[in-house]
Amino acid sequence: MIRFVLRRAVAAVPIGVLVTLGVFALVFAMPGDPLRELAGDKPIPAAVLAAKRAQYHLDDPFIVQYLLSMKDILTGHFGTTFAGADIADQLRLRIPVTLKLTLLANAVQWTLGLFFGIYAGFKRNGWVDRSLLLATLVLLAVPGLVAYFAAQYLFGVELKWFPVSGVLEGFPRSYLLPALVIGVLGFAGLARLLRTSIVETVNADFVKTARAKGLGEQRVLWRHILPNALLPVVTFIGLDLAGMFGGAIITESIFNLPGLGQFMFQAIKLKEGGVVVLLSTLAFISFILINLLIDLLYGVLDPRVRNV
Amino acid sequence: MTKPGEVLLKVDDLTVEFDTPRGPVRAVDGVSWQVRAGEMLAILGESGSGKSVSTQALTGILEMPPGRIVSGTAEYRGADLIQMTTRERRRIVGDRITMVFQDSLSALNPVQSVGTQIAECYRVHRGMSKRDAMKKAAEMLDQVRIPAAAKRVGDYPHEFSGGMRQRVMLAMALALDPDVLIADEPTTALDVTVQAQILELIAELQAERDMGVVLITHDLGVVSDVADNVVVMYAGHVVERAATAEALEYPVHPYTEGLLGSMPSAELKGRELPTIPGTPPSLQAIPSGCAFRTRCPVAVDDCAAEVPPLLTIAPGREAACIRRTSLAAREAV
Repeated sequence: MIRFVLRRAVAAVPIGVLVTLGVFALVFAMPGDPLRELAGDKPIPAAVLAAKRAQYHLDDPFIVQYLLSMKDILTGHFGTTFAGADIADQLRLRIPVTLKLTLLANAVQWTLGLFFGIYAGFKRNGWVDRSLLLATLVLLAVPGLVAYFAAQYLFGVELKWFPVSGVLEGFPRSYLLPALVIGVLGFAGLARLLRTSIVETVNADFVKTARAKGLGEQRVLWRHILPNALLPVVTFIGLDLAGMFGGAIITESIFNLPGLGQFMFQAIKLKEGGVVVLLSTLAFISFILINLLIDLLYGVLDPRVRNV
Repeated sequence: MTKPGEVLLKVDDLTVEFDTPRGPVRAVDGVSWQVRAGEMLAILGESGSGKSVSTQALTGILEMPPGRIVSGTAEYRGADLIQMTTRERRRIVGDRITMVFQDSLSALNPVQSVGTQIAECYRVHRGMSKRDAMKKAAEMLDQVRIPAAAKRVGDYPHEFSGGMRQRVMLAMALALDPDVLIADEPTTALDVTVQAQILELIAELQAERDMGVVLITHDLGVVSDVADNVVVMYAGHVVERAATAEALEYPVHPYTEGLLGSMPSAELKGRELPTIPGTPPSLQAIPSGCAFRTRCPVAVDDCAAEVPPLLTIAPGREAACIRRTSLAAREAV
């Protein structure tokens, strides 16, 4: 098991280099001058501009800039943004915001997904099952952007149930609306997957064996069908959780939540390669970690993939 | 406890249909058989002959719908399993009547250790504690001759070989000391040497417990090795019923005869193996009258008229063939 973890960690290094290098190159290739954009319409004295350019190594060749950024990240010297904010402080403030949003949204998504998936799977072709299919199609067809703005307008502006945006009302009130929208948009896919997985498992031979053992229907469902039907769902949940950061870039910007996603959005706008690469590295590491955890969890749930 | 020779399971006139989009299909048609304590009854037939469906219907594990029991009774010591409520039936099926299936890899739950799966029988039907149940499970593994049983209770199905896995299935089925064991093609997925070991084991364990065994198979070799009596099925009907030795020696129904003829033997060495011409009929298009007549070497026009009844030719000997039963009757005169 320790060997498995180590092997995965070593394999992650070259991928990490490729990811960060690619992201840095993309930011480097973006048109526009970051310092001029920061200054807006105000003229900047040439001397100040030159000093700033030197401070952020903006005149060095691409690969030097990349290596300097990576050196800063790896040694923990995150430095400051172009606007002068301390990046380490920013991370301390912003990571909890993103975590709260992501976990709350996932809680909503998993609760709804598991509940409706199990119910629809056990009561096939019932009205819940049929409505779920319809709901999935509708939810998959609605673009996230439309849903976010519609929810802000309906529940924030008109009904005034939730704050429209910002974190002034703290946790959980300020996070509820975005989390609910993300959760509701995402649960249908999870529920469908679980439902299908249950339907496939119901016809398995070992379920017949369980019935032939004279077990009650509830015991057959919870002890024999569900543990097997959940296996593909675990993989899905892992990928989904790891992909949440990408979604946070949009949701945090729309709902004005000062998390990592919003930070990323601003950094991209300002062409701050260092910050973008730092955040990408964080996202990458969390992606690798979550996948590792999922693989370990999978091994616990399914004895057939242990020791590999 | 069972009395020696007591009829344990008696199936009478069982008819099972499946609802399909193109109308109902009759998979089992008026089938009757019985099994006594200490008897091994073989139900012989090709795939699709309805041999598995009949046992799955009476134990209540057949998916219903699309399956449907049209008529018939299946009495376990006088109590009709088919009329019972599910709750009542669960007290008998899984406890007094247990089953073993063909493919032990898919028939065992892949994410539970074999010990847990065997122990579940004791926990559900006997209300034992987890510890006691696991101890009994290890004992059962030992009884089916799994080496180092105590060490292997925690292992998972995929960690056993095919033959060992089938032993695990047997241990699970025999855990509660049942009166009747229904073994549905228990050796089909195994290679020949392991087949023989498993059959021997079933026979041994049967002798120890005086239980009735219903052995469902398509393999005449398996039948001749261990079965006392044999019921031959074709297209949902019983076509012949006899003591195994008699059926093998003097098959009455042309289908049984054809099956025997297509057994490899020393005399046939170097020659092509005879086969029954044609293929089994689709259950949606069973020929009128005798279902076998389109493949039968002795069929006459009368065979198409009506389904031949199962007639007694000699004590314990029945066949459903108007050509042979009338012939036999004439000879008897």
